[in-house]
Amino acid sequence: MILGDFGTSYCKFLDLDTPGAKPTIIATKELPRETRVDLATGHNGKRFADRYVNELIALARGGEALIEEEEYVLLDCGSRDIKFIKYANGKLADMGWNAECGASMGFTIELLERYYELDYAHLRVPEQTFSVTCGVLGMSDIFDAVISGVPVAEAVARFVKGIAINAYRFAGSPTKLYLSGGLCDNPLFVGSFPCQVTPLGRFVLLRGLEAETRQPRPPAIA
Amino acid sequence: MALDPASSAATLSRFRKIGIIGIPPLGVIRAANEHGLVIHDLDEPLVREDLETASPYLPRVYCAILRTAVVNALHLELDAIYADTGPGKCDCALHTATILAEALPIPVICTKNMDSTGYGTPLCQTRQPLLARMLAITAGVKSAAPYDTPPPVSLPTAGFWGVPPRDFSILELFPETTHIFGWARCMENKTPADHELEALFNPQIPTVFFAQSFCAKTALARYLAKKHPHALYLDVDVHTTSSARAKVQAFLELSGVRL
Repeated sequence: MILGDFGTSYCKFLDLDTPGAKPTIIATKELPRETRVDLATGHNGKRFADRYVNELIALARGGEALIEEEEYVLLDCGSRDIKFIKYANGKLADMGWNAECGASMGFTIELLERYYELDYAHLRVPEQTFSVTCGVLGMSDIFDAVISGVPVAEAVARFVKGIAINAYRFAGSPTKLYLSGGLCDNPLFVGSFPCQVTPLGRFVLLRGLEAETRQPRPPAIA
Repeated sequence: MALDPASSAATLSRFRKIGIIGIPPLGVIRAANEHGLVIHDLDEPLVREDLETASPYLPRVYCAILRTAVVNALHLELDAIYADTGPGKCDCALHTATILAEALPIPVICTKNMDSTGYGTPLCQTRQPLLARMLAITAGVKSAAPYDTPPPVSLPTAGFWGVPPRDFSILELFPETTHIFGWARCMENKTPADHELEALFNPQIPTVFFAQSFCAKTALARYLAKKHPHALYLDVDVHTTSSARAKVQAFLELSGVRL
């Protein structure tokens, strides 16, 4: 059985029939159109599978599989949106999916790194931050800061920190959170959260799909 | 134009087709029924016109239901509009009525519904598709007739709290055993200003607290969702977005609600 997480910028796959197989990743723009999987999640997933699990459910199931605590907040920062699941006493306590005001934050972070030829691994977390609620609107702050003499790297770092703080507030300002998504590999982003962060990587939703395959399914309607 | 209930009802004999915004007092509805008037519930999408046609009159960032009411009022041939602007509706409706009164050549009559005699809430508590029940509840505002034999009360497995949404498609996600709370329950009870009934919820069942974006009831919905031990607060504007659908689906499934 092949699982697929079809994100806006990247698609991730896992073949359950190959023992010990590791997840694979491909840029969405390079995905062959004839791709088919058995179980899919993600923004683009419905087009590539007969069975689809919505991203919040996949995220929650992934959290249940990877986190042993009874109480936690799991935040997924994707290219296009941010979403979180909060568990208390081992049960769902809160959730959120910000596809509108959280628009394009991850996408914009990656875009800026390429455009300005930066390396986030070498940028320190800045003291100051921008008040960012949207990737597109937040770009204006960068341009304004650069015009006023702030170095480009510092301006972009403030933007990234603003995005992290916005995501943190969206998740309910927890003292500790688990982070999911490609931004786990961005040390500037991870270090910008004003709380303890445990990165779980970009394959949490795949783990959620894997767990979903073990969930009992309702009988098919004749 | 603001009239007392008796005057509001008395003027009805001059009309054939009226529109209502919110829930005017039963006296008005009863008189309209007695005179055989056609009643259009302007809060529902009734005409195939772009919501943008309301923009010259209301801000784009405004309650989608009242923007819908304006679009209906502009495109339906009505003899009068009865807009409830009392505690059973909202200030936004009052301002909308003021604007419509100037924009339209027909009387726009403001009412203040203080009806307090409960008709009961059988549809809110029975087992049927949620969408069908909500349609019946909203259709019920056009009639003053008492309800027939009530259907049996069901054991609830989920709750929907809020107003009838502008886009009913979100209701398809809920199981038939969903109980209805909030202003929709007040609608069925024909007591739209009963704030105590509106604030009622069942803490034993996972409940979605729904409000239209930019509606004053978003504050109440979020406040009650925080008090409820197992709740999802949700606000939706004109159409149910895919993320809103996903939130409801995930909330119900992860709460163990059988669909």
